[in-house]
Amino acid sequence: MAVTLKYPFVKLEAPPEYRGVPHINPRLCIGCGACVQACPADALLRIDDYEKGTRKIVLDVGRCIRCARCDEACPTGAIRMTRTFEVATLDRNDHIEVVELRLHRCPNCGNYTDYTERALEKALQILPEGPFDKDEIRKKAALCRNCRRRLTVDETIEASREVVE
Amino acid sequence: MKEWARKITDDEVRERYVSEVVERFKDKIMRVERNASNQWIIEINREDLPEVVGYIINHPEWKETQLSTMVGADERPRRGKFSMIYWISINGESGDIFIGIKTYIPEDDPKFPAVTPVHPGANWYEREVKDLLGLVPEGHPDPRRLVLPDDWPEGVYPLRKDFHYTDSPKRDFTDETKYPYKEPPKGTAVFPLGPYHVALDEPGHFRLYVKGEEIVDVDYRLFYQHRGIEKIGENRLTYDQVNFIAERICGICGTAHALAYAQAIEAAGEIDVPERAEYIRTVMAEIERLHSHLLNLGLACHDVGFDKGFMDAFRLREHVMWLAERLTGNRKTYGMVVIGGVRRDFLEYRRSMIERVIRELKENFQKWVDQTLSTKTFVKRCEGIGILSYKDAKRWSTVGPFARGSGRDLDARRDHPFAAYKYLDFKVPIYKEGDVLARCLVRAEEILESIWIIEQALDEIPGGDILAEWREIPPYREAVGFTEAPRGEDVHYVITGEGNRLYRWRIRASTYNNFPALPDAMRGNTVADAVLIIASMDPCYSCTERVQVVDAKSGKVRVLTEKELTELSRKASRGV
Amino acid sequence: MKLRSLYIFHLDTGACNGCEIELFDILTPYYDAERLGVRLAASPRHSHAMAVTGPLTRQTYYAAKEAIKAMPPKPRIIVAIGTCACSGGIFYNGYPIYRRPESGREGQEYPRRGGIFELVQDLRDEGEYVGPVVYIPGCPPRPEEILYGVALALGLVEKQVKGEYYTEEVGFELPEYPLEERIRLSLRERLKYVVGYFDREKILEDFMELVKEARSAEELHRLIEEYCLKNPDPRVSLAMRVLEREFLRLKEKYGWEVKGNAKAPQSEVRGLQVSADRNAGSR
Repeated sequence: MAVTLKYPFVKLEAPPEYRGVPHINPRLCIGCGACVQACPADALLRIDDYEKGTRKIVLDVGRCIRCARCDEACPTGAIRMTRTFEVATLDRNDHIEVVELRLHRCPNCGNYTDYTERALEKALQILPEGPFDKDEIRKKAALCRNCRRRLTVDETIEASREVVE
Repeated sequence: MKEWARKITDDEVRERYVSEVVERFKDKIMRVERNASNQWIIEINREDLPEVVGYIINHPEWKETQLSTMVGADERPRRGKFSMIYWISINGESGDIFIGIKTYIPEDDPKFPAVTPVHPGANWYEREVKDLLGLVPEGHPDPRRLVLPDDWPEGVYPLRKDFHYTDSPKRDFTDETKYPYKEPPKGTAVFPLGPYHVALDEPGHFRLYVKGEEIVDVDYRLFYQHRGIEKIGENRLTYDQVNFIAERICGICGTAHALAYAQAIEAAGEIDVPERAEYIRTVMAEIERLHSHLLNLGLACHDVGFDKGFMDAFRLREHVMWLAERLTGNRKTYGMVVIGGVRRDFLEYRRSMIERVIRELKENFQKWVDQTLSTKTFVKRCEGIGILSYKDAKRWSTVGPFARGSGRDLDARRDHPFAAYKYLDFKVPIYKEGDVLARCLVRAEEILESIWIIEQALDEIPGGDILAEWREIPPYREAVGFTEAPRGEDVHYVITGEGNRLYRWRIRASTYNNFPALPDAMRGNTVADAVLIIASMDPCYSCTERVQVVDAKSGKVRVLTEKELTELSRKASRGV
Repeated sequence: MKLRSLYIFHLDTGACNGCEIELFDILTPYYDAERLGVRLAASPRHSHAMAVTGPLTRQTYYAAKEAIKAMPPKPRIIVAIGTCACSGGIFYNGYPIYRRPESGREGQEYPRRGGIFELVQDLRDEGEYVGPVVYIPGCPPRPEEILYGVALALGLVEKQVKGEYYTEEVGFELPEYPLEERIRLSLRERLKYVVGYFDREKILEDFMELVKEARSAEELHRLIEEYCLKNPDPRVSLAMRVLEREFLRLKEKYGWEVKGNAKAPQSEVRGLQVSADRNAGSR
């Protein structure tokens, strides 16, 4: 009675609970960097370029220990553990997945902020309606930190003048 | 809680031990503190170390005292001094308590009187503290370098707080810096031979000094796998990430290490683990024990030459690996234990899967044991070989099946009940002969006990959450976490720190306590038995590869590879 | 040169032994590497390839170098088994781990450096010929994965993995769910503590379907009871009930309207307090 599995000459699928290599879905990723903080082996990198205004999230599958902490941490479900395990190769560049996103640019001063455009959209989606005026929030949230502070100070001075008068 | 667990975790029973120590050494004791439910720290001066530690370990009435671990820490940023703490545990089902004897050592005079002359089991601990922190044990019989690589410069101590964890200073690797082996007994010619990895095992170097075929003495050089895990855990990783590096300390008993660490942090941070999580942790630990013991029994058969037993054991083991893959996602390094609970649940279909596999394993394993024990070759080859007497086993503070085969009555699951063991019934097999056959029998019985434990746990597993929420762990709390890995007691000591990181983490794997006892077990046996004895100690996979055999009479030196040693071992079986 | 068989010598440069026992497993009958022509050699001098595990500690560096130099000059294939040998793994910058000065000790480079390739580069700098390096990541890799890597080295199978570079051109998707996003994220987090990260997505999906269907709180309750009757798994039933109570509580907390008359629990729902669960897991 032969017990040997005929792999690798037949296709074999891993069981449904198997933790294979992670994969980033570039349509869902917002570039928040939660996965980068969670990874114990530093297989995920976040590289910001403030000249060109891009943020790259780099995943190196050859450093991954397949612990699934990134899967747990991701708020949008972009990075997921797949069931792929056939990742052997002769060239380490095949193990790299890069997602390049645009950093958000302040409409007031023109500097790049340290969050991406997509992250801003996602944050506005999470914000509950009700007490907030969505358009006002959208205008303020689009500013960078310095401009926002300046705007708040200006508005406070305006408001205090009105009270005095 | 079961009745046996209630008896030993009774506070009155525990406090009796502490008050006796305090009574005896009244004015030498500076402070007594209870830092966890079963852990006390007693602070003394460094001059009194051998006396106090010796008194507790060699107490005439206390059962099975054991030097569980010894930790040196650099507490200069906090207190301006180094600290050292000896943890001693009481076993033999007579009280669940760990007593920590702590002392401080000033920076400008980094030495302390060695405890090794009083209790040989402290040998490796004191050498390690000298290597990694620079605290010199005075009166130590063998102060050679233990842990750091041969090309590490003198005077640089990695675990000190002013050493950055990624620095890697070097010195030249020359004849002077090579490891100094013991002088061989009279009448031999020796030439030093560098480490060379010939077989499928861990790197490590042994030297046997022989007279004809009989082994007279053994020397070794280990710690090729020192990876600086403690320093990485203290600097780069947060509390939850350390679980994953703890699992990869050893690929065979990984969950036990992760569990010991998680329990240490839970004791320090006073986090309550939900009951369901405790049961799940217990089941995972027992599944690990199954696969590890089957591996060891298979290897023992292979070394004797009984290859049918070897292949059968591995065939049974493969089902356990497939079960683990469906439960946790990977055959090894399960990634299940986190601080506060576990990460994946046992849904109903997974629970039935475990029951089915366990049932089949029980039948088939019983057949395997009957088949192996009725094979004369196996039994005769293992009987009377590698005997370690009870006195020696206690002197070296050995643990696990290695110790239980020599009559030591200790098992961390029963003596210090953790996870869900306090709700379950199980036996601890003890044999008094101390030879290789006794250890194999201990392991075979433990497999059957593990199956019984898993059946009970699956029957009684409660509902509820599987993970407790915790926010912050207060800094600078000390605690010890302990489990019974397949090879013996695993102890982790932590000092929590600031910023979600550890301040000090000390890992003590079970083989650490067992290894120094190996020369005593090997003396008087023949060279052909060397492989079998080392495999019976189960050093996280047999550590013999390049063995140098020096014939004391003729002065000739032979070098045997692992294959040749195995051949020798099997040839000896033919004469049985 | 195309090889028909591969004599492998195993070299352990400081590994935890997880990869070793998987390597040992491919010689057992279930996987049987010998039918691909793979055998373990007794010495590097008889081997075509070196199977390396471990992140290359400094203590093993010298011996490993000698071992590789002892191999016959061709083909000298290096098979790096496991994540540690491919790139240093989780230990990549510990103090006794060997890294070349060029790789730095804390980098932002990619592909990530470390593992046996550091030694291979040192040997190539010294003028020694070292053949191609096959990387098989995994922690530890499954025996099937190792077989696949060996078959790749022998040229029997094709490579399947490929590097990717995505930019904004693929488009951005911000999916809308039947629940408010804030509530959905809170429920997702709560489920992690009840059934774990792996099973929570499916249960949350099913719950959101029921919420979409229901037009009032009582109807939601009725639909959930129906679902639990159809699905015999007590853990899933517990999770759905926890979700229902959390959902109502959060709706009220954030001021969203709930049609119907169900009373929301005032404090946060902890699994152990829910009455259904004491009998949920045991027989």
